[in-house]
Amino acid sequence: MDALTAALKVAASGLGAQSERLRVVSENLANAQSTGNTPGADPYRRKTITFQSELDRASGGSLVEVSSIAHDPSDFPIEFQPGNEAADEKGYVKMPNVNVLVEMADMSEANRSYEANLQVIKQARDLISMTIDLMRNQ
Amino acid sequence: MIGGIGALQFKPAIDGAEAASPGLLQGGVGTQEAESVGSSFADMLDKAATKTVNTLQNAEQMSIQALKGDADTRQVADAVMSAQQALQTTIAIRDKVVSAYLEISRMNI
Amino acid sequence: MEPVNLFDLATRQSQWLAVRQSAIASNIANANTPGYTANDVEPFEKVLDRTAVTLAATQAGHLGTETANAGFNVKPEEATGSIMPSKNTVVLEDELMKAGEVRRSFELNTAIVKAFHSMMTMVVKS
Repeated sequence: MDALTAALKVAASGLGAQSERLRVVSENLANAQSTGNTPGADPYRRKTITFQSELDRASGGSLVEVSSIAHDPSDFPIEFQPGNEAADEKGYVKMPNVNVLVEMADMSEANRSYEANLQVIKQARDLISMTIDLMRNQ
Repeated sequence: MIGGIGALQFKPAIDGAEAASPGLLQGGVGTQEAESVGSSFADMLDKAATKTVNTLQNAEQMSIQALKGDADTRQVADAVMSAQQALQTTIAIRDKVVSAYLEISRMNI
Repeated sequence: MEPVNLFDLATRQSQWLAVRQSAIASNIANANTPGYTANDVEPFEKVLDRTAVTLAATQAGHLGTETANAGFNVKPEEATGSIMPSKNTVVLEDELMKAGEVRRSFELNTAIVKAFHSMMTMVVKS
């Protein structure tokens, strides 16, 4: 596989990885207020995503893939909401350990990386096209 | 490499032009005797050919430098464009000279 | 050994640029991978200085990655700037700048090849 096609393959794997990351972020954001159903029950636990690189023998490029989607082990913050169905006898509810600001920052980072990978795909495609163009109009 | 292009094409044309020169008036040399018209026309062709070869070699040198990474892009573009212009002009002259020579050689004396 | 022929030099440079583009792609794709160090190809001048013997040793049929990288050395570059806690050394802006350079050089390369090729065919056409 020539180097330019390898670049396309690597950038495509980057797009896939960043999309997974965006999916996890949007899950966290959507469930930022999801408490449990029964008194004292645990709420939604934040998910984290980790990447790992993998050397692709055929192309010589380092593909990226999702190594794991794990749960954030940090403690649940507690809020005083006596009316909530998940409130314990003192009226405290365990809220999801999702910090909306952190998730938004992660989302814009994921967008930036996604755009960069897209740029690489566009450029690799253009370079291949330029090479083929050498043969035209002769 | 590119210099070879110049040398190959113009030597025979110039020799032919020298042989047929008394009859040729193309080249816009104006009011001069037939012989001096002929010889200065051949000189002019010679000089034009040399200039073209030099322009081509300059363009090749600039391009090699550009590929190695240290040449001004605009200079490279100018050099290559001059080479293309010079080459096209010289080819047009070559074709004209060759066809004129053939026409003369076909003339009934 | 340095190729003196214009077309050979242009081909060698375009191969080098393609390998560089692939290294940049790997860096950008792995910008968030923990422990990943950014790679880059050796400079083109170094490639030109190498002898023919070294080049012959990296012919096709040898190690897979060597064929893919056309015999150019792709090695990790030193980390500049701050070290992230995740030990990732990719700076996205630098990679995008490098990609821009690759594009400019590639365009110049194909333009030069096209111009000289058309000049050669011009001469042959009557």
